Amino acid sequence: MKPGVLLKLAWLRFTSCSGCQLMLVNCESSLAPLANLVEIDTFPLVSSACGNSEIFDFALVEGALTTPGEIVRLLALRRKSRLLVAVGACALTGGVNALVNGDRSRALAAVYGDQGTQWDTFAPQPVDHFVKVDWRIPGCPPERHELLQSFASILHGGWPGRQVMAVCMECRSNENRCLLLEDQAPCLGPVTSAGCNAACPGQGVPCEGCRGMMPEANVAEMCALLMAAGLPEQAIRHRLERFGEARND
Amino acid sequence: MTRLIVDPLTRVEGHGRVELLLKDGRLEDVRVRLLESPRLFEALVVGHRYDEVPDLICRICAICSAVHKVTSLQALENAMCVIVPPLAAMLRELLVLGGHIQSHALHLFCLILPDLQGTPDVVALLRQGDPLAKAGLELKAFGNHIQQVAGGRVIHPINPVFGGVAYRPAADALGSLAEELSRWQRDWPELAASFLQAGNYPHAGPVLGSAVATGLSNIFSLGGGGLWVEGEGELPAASYAKLLMEQARADSYAKDAAGASGPFLTGALARARLSAQEGLAFGFPEDDTGIHANNAAQIREIGRALQRVAQLLDTLLATDNDEPLQSDRKQSLGGGSGTALMEAPRGLLVHHYVVDEWGTVVAADIVTPTAINQRVMAAQVLADLAGEEDPARLQDVTARIIRAYDPCISCAVHLVSIDRSPGEHAEGRSDGPEGVIGIKSSVF
Repeated sequence: MKPGVLLKLAWLRFTSCSGCQLMLVNCESSLAPLANLVEIDTFPLVSSACGNSEIFDFALVEGALTTPGEIVRLLALRRKSRLLVAVGACALTGGVNALVNGDRSRALAAVYGDQGTQWDTFAPQPVDHFVKVDWRIPGCPPERHELLQSFASILHGGWPGRQVMAVCMECRSNENRCLLLEDQAPCLGPVTSAGCNAACPGQGVPCEGCRGMMPEANVAEMCALLMAAGLPEQAIRHRLERFGEARND
Repeated sequence: MTRLIVDPLTRVEGHGRVELLLKDGRLEDVRVRLLESPRLFEALVVGHRYDEVPDLICRICAICSAVHKVTSLQALENAMCVIVPPLAAMLRELLVLGGHIQSHALHLFCLILPDLQGTPDVVALLRQGDPLAKAGLELKAFGNHIQQVAGGRVIHPINPVFGGVAYRPAADALGSLAEELSRWQRDWPELAASFLQAGNYPHAGPVLGSAVATGLSNIFSLGGGGLWVEGEGELPAASYAKLLMEQARADSYAKDAAGASGPFLTGALARARLSAQEGLAFGFPEDDTGIHANNAAQIREIGRALQRVAQLLDTLLATDNDEPLQSDRKQSLGGGSGTALMEAPRGLLVHHYVVDEWGTVVAADIVTPTAINQRVMAAQVLADLAGEEDPARLQDVTARIIRAYDPCISCAVHLVSIDRSPGEHAEGRSDGPEGVIGIKSSVF
C-alpha cells in the first residue's frame, strides 16, 4: 500500500444475521487505527457513504444467497472488487438458513401464508457457487482477530497463514477437560477447524462446529463417538448439519 | 403519482427502504419496506429437539442474539414447566443487560452520533479524533465485556442452556466487570449529555402509536410479566397474537387505518412512557423532538442498566459456590406450549413454541419489535412530512425518522411485507405507471 492512501472497502450482506459485520464493529479499540488505513465506500450498516468508487481495493461478503436480486448484487460487487473475502458460516456454506428441510415453498407458506409461495427465492447457497472467493473467514460468529489479521494482511499484500488442525488440538494445548470422552457431551471438536482457541469447550460448553469441518475430517469416527456418548441418530445428524455441512453425505 | 425512494436505509440494522408517494409534488403516502430475504426460522426449527432450538434461533439476529436466546429458552421452559434456579436467572439477566448496553451504545454512538456531528459515519468521527465517539465505543465495549463474561461469547452466547446456565463465571471475571462498572457510573452523565439536549435533534411532530411493552419496564423485564398497552393496562402474555399479530398482518400492505389500539410503538420511548405512568418521570421534551426522543430514552436506559448491573454483580459475587446452575427437573419432561415476553433493546419480543411429548418442537412463532413498529414508522414519516415538496428534505428527514426507531430489520423475520420483485433495488426497475425519481444512493 502507498502511505497516506486509504484502501477502499465495501461490505455487503445477504441472507444472514449481521453478526459478521457486527464483529468488526465489536473491534472497538481497533476502529480508530483502522479509520486511518481504510475508507468505507459501501457498508450500509455503518455508513451513509454509498457506492461512488469505480473499484474497491477489497470487498467483504456476509450471508448466503437466496434471491436472484442478491446474485445480481454479488456479481456487481465482484466486478468492482480487486479482492473478495467471504465471511462467516452463511457465506461459506449457507449456514443455519440452509436447515429448512424439504420443500421450500411449504416452509414459505407456513411462515408467510399464501403470498409467501409467490416470492422468488431459492435454497440458501454459499458465495463461491457464483463468484471467485479470494479468502475465507469462517465461524458463526467469526473471530475478531481473524477479521483484523485479514485486514492487516490485505494492507501489506498477501493473506494470513492458516493452521490446518481441529479444535481438539487447541483444547489439548490449553489442557481443557475433554467434554466428549469424560462427560459424554456432544462436542464436535475432533472434526471442526481450529482458530477460535477452543472458545466454547474451554468454558465447558461442547463445540457446535460453527467454524466448519476441517479437511479430511473423520466423520465416521465422530459419529461413532457421539453414538457411544448416547446421542440418538437424528440428534447426531442435526448436530453435524447445523452449519450447512455434511447435509449431502 | 411519483415515487421517491430512500434506498438503502443506511446506519440501520438490515435491508430496508422507504417509498414516498407524491401527488402533484407533495407527499401523500409512505411505505416502509423491509427487504430482508426470508430466513424461515419458524419453519426451520420445527422437527428439532427443544434443547437445539435456542442455539438455532439466536441466529435470527447478532445484535439481539442474547435476548433472542434467553427469550426462546424461557418460552421452551414455560412450555415444559421448568423453573430455572435464581443464580441462572441472574446470569441471564446480566447477559441481557450487557446486550442492551452494547446495542444502545452501538446505535447512539456509531449510528446516531454521525447525524448530530454531520458526518457520514463513525469512522470519519474517529479519524477526526472525536472524544465522544471514542468514549462511546469504550462504553459499547463494556456492554460486550458483560456479554462475554455472562454469556461466554459476545455474539450467539453459549452459557444460557435449557434449564439454567452451563457454568458460573469465575469470580475474578465478575470482579473485573465490577471494577470497570465504577468508571461508567462516574462517566455516564458526561456521555449522555448531548443525547439529552433537545436542541441537538431536529424539530419533529408528536410521536404516534400506543406504547406497548412487557412488565413495568423501569428495568428491562426478564419475562414473567404480561403485555402492557398504553391506556389499556396489563393483558396476559398469551393474548399477544390477538393484540399484535392479527392487526399487523392485516396492515402489511395497508396505508394507515389504525385499529382500535394500534398502531403500536415499542422500544425505549414506549418503555419510558409506560414507566412514567407508574410515576417514573421521563422528563424529556418529547413534543419538540418527536420520535428522536427515543434516542434520549435509550441513553437513559443505559444509565438504568448500569445501576442494575451493579446490583446483580454485588449479589452474584456474594452467592455461594454450590448454588445450583440448572433445574434438576430435566428428566421425564412433558410436552406443552409456552410463550415468553421480553424487552429486547428495540422493544417487545415474543417467542412462542409448541413441544410434543417427545421433546420435539412442532410449532414456533416469533414477533419482533421491528415488526411491531413497522406500521408506526410509516405513519410517523407521513405525519411529519405530509405535504412536503422538497425532495432532498423528504429523503433526509425520512432517513432520520426511521433511524430514530433503531429498526432491526434482520430481526423482523415475521409479519414483514417483503417485496416479491426479484430486482430488490430500485435501479432500472419499473412497476406500473408510477415514475421513480430521486434515488438517493444505490448499492449496485
